[in-house]
Amino acid sequence: MEIPYIVTPRKDTGLFNSKIAIWLFLASEVMLFGGFFSAYVFLRLGADFPWPERTLPVMPGLINTFVLIGSSVTVVFAWASLKLGNWRMFQLFMGITVACAGIFMVLKGIEYNVKFHHQAVRLPDFTVVEGHLAYEKDEKGYVLNHHGKKIEENMIFVEAKQLNFSTVRFHKPWVEEFISQAEHRNAKILLASDLNLVTEFGKPAVTIGKANEPLSVELLAKIKKAYLAARAHNAELRTDALRLAWREKKAEFPDKKDWELTRDVNVDASKLELLEEVSTVTFNVDPPAKFEFKPRDIKEDATSSRLRDDTVITGPLLPSPMVFHHMDAVDFRHLAMRAKAKGQDPIKAIDDSWLVQNNPFVKKAWEWNKLQVAKIEKELIDGYGRDEQGKPKREPIAKERYRLGWKEFAAIAEGKDRGDADIKMREEFLGPDYAKRGDETFPEFSLPREKVAFASKFTPTWNTYYALYFTITGLHGLHVIGGALVLAYYLFFGRKMFDENPEWLANRVEIGGLFWHFVDLVWIFVFPIFYLM
Amino acid sequence: MADSPEAIKKSIRLYCIVGFILFLGTVITYLVATVPALDIGRHGFDVYDCILGLAIAATKAGFVLLIFMHFNHEKKAIYWMFASGIIMAIALAGLTALAIYNPIFDPLFYSGR
Amino acid sequence: MSSHPSTAHGPDAHHDDHHHNPGFLWKYVFSTDHKMIGIQYAITAMLFLAFGFYLMMVMRWSIAYPHQPLPEWMSFIFNDGWKARWLLDGKVTGETYNMFGAMHGTIMVFLGIVPLGFGAFGNYVTPLQIGAVDMAFPKLNMMSYWIYLAGGLVMCASFFMESGAAKSGWTNYSPLAGFADGQIVNQWLAGQTQWLIGLVLLITSSLLGSVNFITTIINLRARGMTWMRLPFFVWSMLVTAFLLLLAFPPLEAAGIMQLMDRVLHSSFFMPSGLYTGAQGLADLSGGGSPLLFQHLFWFLGHPEVYVLLLPAFACVAEIIPANTRKPLWGYKSMVYSVLVLGFLSFIVWAHHMYMTGMGAAVSTFFQTTTVLISIPSVVIITALLISLWGGSIRFTPPMLWACAFIPMFGIGGLTGLPLAFNLVGLHLHDTYYVIGHFHYVVAPGILFGFFAGVLHWYPKITGRYMNSSLNHLHFWPSLICMNLIFFPMLMQGMAGFHRRWYNGGDAYMAKTQDSANVFANTVAQHIDMNLIMSYGAWAMAFFQIFFIINLFTSWKFGRKVTSDNPWNATTLEWATPTPPGHGNFIDEPVVYRGPYEYSRPDHAEDFIPQWHKPVAVTAPVTDPKDPA
Repeated sequence: MEIPYIVTPRKDTGLFNSKIAIWLFLASEVMLFGGFFSAYVFLRLGADFPWPERTLPVMPGLINTFVLIGSSVTVVFAWASLKLGNWRMFQLFMGITVACAGIFMVLKGIEYNVKFHHQAVRLPDFTVVEGHLAYEKDEKGYVLNHHGKKIEENMIFVEAKQLNFSTVRFHKPWVEEFISQAEHRNAKILLASDLNLVTEFGKPAVTIGKANEPLSVELLAKIKKAYLAARAHNAELRTDALRLAWREKKAEFPDKKDWELTRDVNVDASKLELLEEVSTVTFNVDPPAKFEFKPRDIKEDATSSRLRDDTVITGPLLPSPMVFHHMDAVDFRHLAMRAKAKGQDPIKAIDDSWLVQNNPFVKKAWEWNKLQVAKIEKELIDGYGRDEQGKPKREPIAKERYRLGWKEFAAIAEGKDRGDADIKMREEFLGPDYAKRGDETFPEFSLPREKVAFASKFTPTWNTYYALYFTITGLHGLHVIGGALVLAYYLFFGRKMFDENPEWLANRVEIGGLFWHFVDLVWIFVFPIFYLM
Repeated sequence: MADSPEAIKKSIRLYCIVGFILFLGTVITYLVATVPALDIGRHGFDVYDCILGLAIAATKAGFVLLIFMHFNHEKKAIYWMFASGIIMAIALAGLTALAIYNPIFDPLFYSGR
Repeated sequence: MSSHPSTAHGPDAHHDDHHHNPGFLWKYVFSTDHKMIGIQYAITAMLFLAFGFYLMMVMRWSIAYPHQPLPEWMSFIFNDGWKARWLLDGKVTGETYNMFGAMHGTIMVFLGIVPLGFGAFGNYVTPLQIGAVDMAFPKLNMMSYWIYLAGGLVMCASFFMESGAAKSGWTNYSPLAGFADGQIVNQWLAGQTQWLIGLVLLITSSLLGSVNFITTIINLRARGMTWMRLPFFVWSMLVTAFLLLLAFPPLEAAGIMQLMDRVLHSSFFMPSGLYTGAQGLADLSGGGSPLLFQHLFWFLGHPEVYVLLLPAFACVAEIIPANTRKPLWGYKSMVYSVLVLGFLSFIVWAHHMYMTGMGAAVSTFFQTTTVLISIPSVVIITALLISLWGGSIRFTPPMLWACAFIPMFGIGGLTGLPLAFNLVGLHLHDTYYVIGHFHYVVAPGILFGFFAGVLHWYPKITGRYMNSSLNHLHFWPSLICMNLIFFPMLMQGMAGFHRRWYNGGDAYMAKTQDSANVFANTVAQHIDMNLIMSYGAWAMAFFQIFFIINLFTSWKFGRKVTSDNPWNATTLEWATPTPPGHGNFIDEPVVYRGPYEYSRPDHAEDFIPQWHKPVAVTAPVTDPKDPA
């Protein structure tokens, strides 16, 4: 039994099966990327924060565009070579196509990597600072943590006296972290008091844990097991009691409706033999030790902090600043947007902001920028003139007024004007060369924890623009990989098909090529939308 | 797609030309976006830049679709399949955006945001 | 085995290797035969339907008896640990009710009806009705099934986890769905996250399936099977496939974005300044839009309901002509209507969102298109009704269900009309009226159509009829119970009962006779209907047992069919042996006429099958536009 029209087209439709299938699939892909692009339109129009226009370094995107267009051309040549029966040329062009895909993904990987290592933080007054975080150092060099790794200076430190775990919800990796960190600090985590529980109804209490027993995952697991057993037992007893209570109540008042009786039907817990349910367990830290946590995992408080798995850490919060080794951007656009919305003068709001008031470097840079803005205004008036009301036809944009990016820091250090700094090609891809430009250009900056309103690296977390950027380019990248795999399959394993049935192979390569062109098509839109707009 | 060798050889020239046009289009987009002298409309990014950028992108996409993907001599059924995708995508993006814009009855829409 | 002279042997022949002795695994488990895959879909879908039904029974207990512990006969299947976690002294808690409610909707729609209609009926019958040997891409077909099963299992596995399954409604709106189960540290073990992963798998399965269907219908039709000779069943499946193809991807996009919100802490759908009781001020960037999720969800959501419906139309449209011995009335109108319906279904979605504060222009647009879309549906259902007129009606088991489909779906459709208007929608949105409306369409509507389909094609699959007495025992009580359950919902909805109350309205009820609270009085007047509805639901559960018995016992003990075409129908699937073997047709089928040639005045027999050669040829046999 053969499926017809796999290779030869059907006469009345003029199509073979996979051609129909691939165009249908491409229509669905149009809808998939269409859904994402409509999300982009919606989120950009409705954004309540200044949309990052033209923030991405353009060079990697531009080169990737050329690479992908080139690969589109070569894949067509590869197909044409097959139709002309030239295996060598097919190999050559298909090889270039797959190599282009590889270059594309490498450049993308570099782009992503640079972003993942770049930190951003929003202060409570909506000032934004960007840069690279420092690693903790002492006189001897880098400080290593309990795993032997460098410590990025964005941790929350608590001097813990007591730990209180949720019996059911504790997160095993975090418990192991506690044990490891305590060991590193030469402290012990010990059970606060004896834990004697009845694990099986009718049997006497069992010692699950003794006082001063060290914390371990097995111990917590034992306690959890006992808790779940007790909870199950108690629930069963209470359910039976409630059922009995209802039956009795309904027998007592046969004419009354259920909702009338509800208030009077209760479970009398004193009459039941319930087991003790231990839902939290307390451990003492001896001596009180400094523990470090990732900011996302902990809700810190001056005296008692809480982890996301409901572990309560009793102890004072230690200073936990966010320290930048190199601050490379300061962005007042959001602050200015909010000031304007409140009817305040944005320039004054920035002058009065905490960062300008407390950081001489930023103050200097801000004063420099004010002069630059005045210069740009004059240039625009000279170039384009004023309209009938006397307003200048063109004005500096928000980015020029309120954002000092790394290129502006570089210009300040070089004593040049905005846009005139000497930027190397390498820096267009990888960001500023901190080593060469030095600490005077990109200074250290320590931000106290209270001044951190929201922080993240340049990941989907930072704002919806980056969320969309990573999602769409990431999905596109997956499509590039998928398409490249299919094309590579025909490149490396197609010889046999070429010898036996060249037309079949040409059809397959055509279908793969169609997919590849679609991937290029999507990128043709992605590049201007994300990089140039 | 049983083209004869001669037809394919002619197409190769066409593919080269289209490839060059695509490179050119990319360069133009880049220049219009980054060179200040070529900035149309208001200073910086505004709706005119948006339309121009999307127009250039759509033209490039059109070339890829029509020439590289042979859409210009594809069967009608295929036209309908792919076109239905594009139409529905535009309907999705357009109607969703219109749900937050309210162009007909909202007086504020016309006075600028 | 069929032979296709038009295909070259070289490229296509290498498929033959496996086919002579496949072995159990390849024949029954990883089968690439569309019939086996159709049966796999059917069994899996029916199991999921039963599970969804059970969830609903527990919900109805909570509605009828909100303060009483679940009775033993409903709770014995849970273990004590599960009961301790999810029931409070044996009572259904709000959290548990929400979880069951969300999963009931999800399972019924995505894991039950769509796979049964499109996956089971579509897969089994479509290639047979167009005269093809199999689907265009058999391996892809197999993958579609297994990905569907994987997705369904992922979604349901979360019932057994600490977080429980998804609990934010089957519509899974952000920001709630972005936060629910947020306290679970490893998000990949949270039910809400797994719902999204399951959804992505299901969407993939549907997309592969729809590509397969459309390619098959376009390219693998038999000789002489022109477009206007296709049975209406195939047209329905074609439109359904297009709906799935184009409408699902935006939901996939939304699912991916919500997944990123949960796992990578992005803010696609999270607005700024979000504050929750559990976590305080959310540690997110904000700037996102919950409304965006709703748009993307309902862009699928509306075509999805037509995906549910069209396979049922398909089944009923085949059964009625065969059992009235008359052609389907208005075949051409029905075809054009279903095509228009498919197109319009993409641009009506925001009628699910009238309460979101859209501008008047846009909501008027959607109101207009929604009212417009009622026209093709009415055309189709009217054509089905008129098809009965003047027919010689035989009330075979499938015909009972098909006849019941028409008024039941009619009620469902008519109750949808008020909801189309944005003004009325403000009053009825999120009330039991909506639940009553869509359940009328799906439960006594679509499901009845599927029961009809099962009874109709069972003889072809097994060679035996299903038992008629058992069918009566299934049909009449089901019909009565369906109305008992869903009609009061329409009344409660108009009284203002909210669709997600877990205590049946108890909390809002006036506790005294002369309360000044008008709403509370209204609730008190209608709350007793809850009992009727719940007992109806539990009774209906009981009567489905007869269907299950019928399904299994008829396989071995049912009355045997005496021909390959037991209903004397005209469409191509009845030209195959019983059951159809590998390759379906013994000789290559050729089609000579339309699909519903019943009771032609110039013919002695009351039907002429599509594949019978014409005896006296006075006109060209094949369509001149199709020289094949």
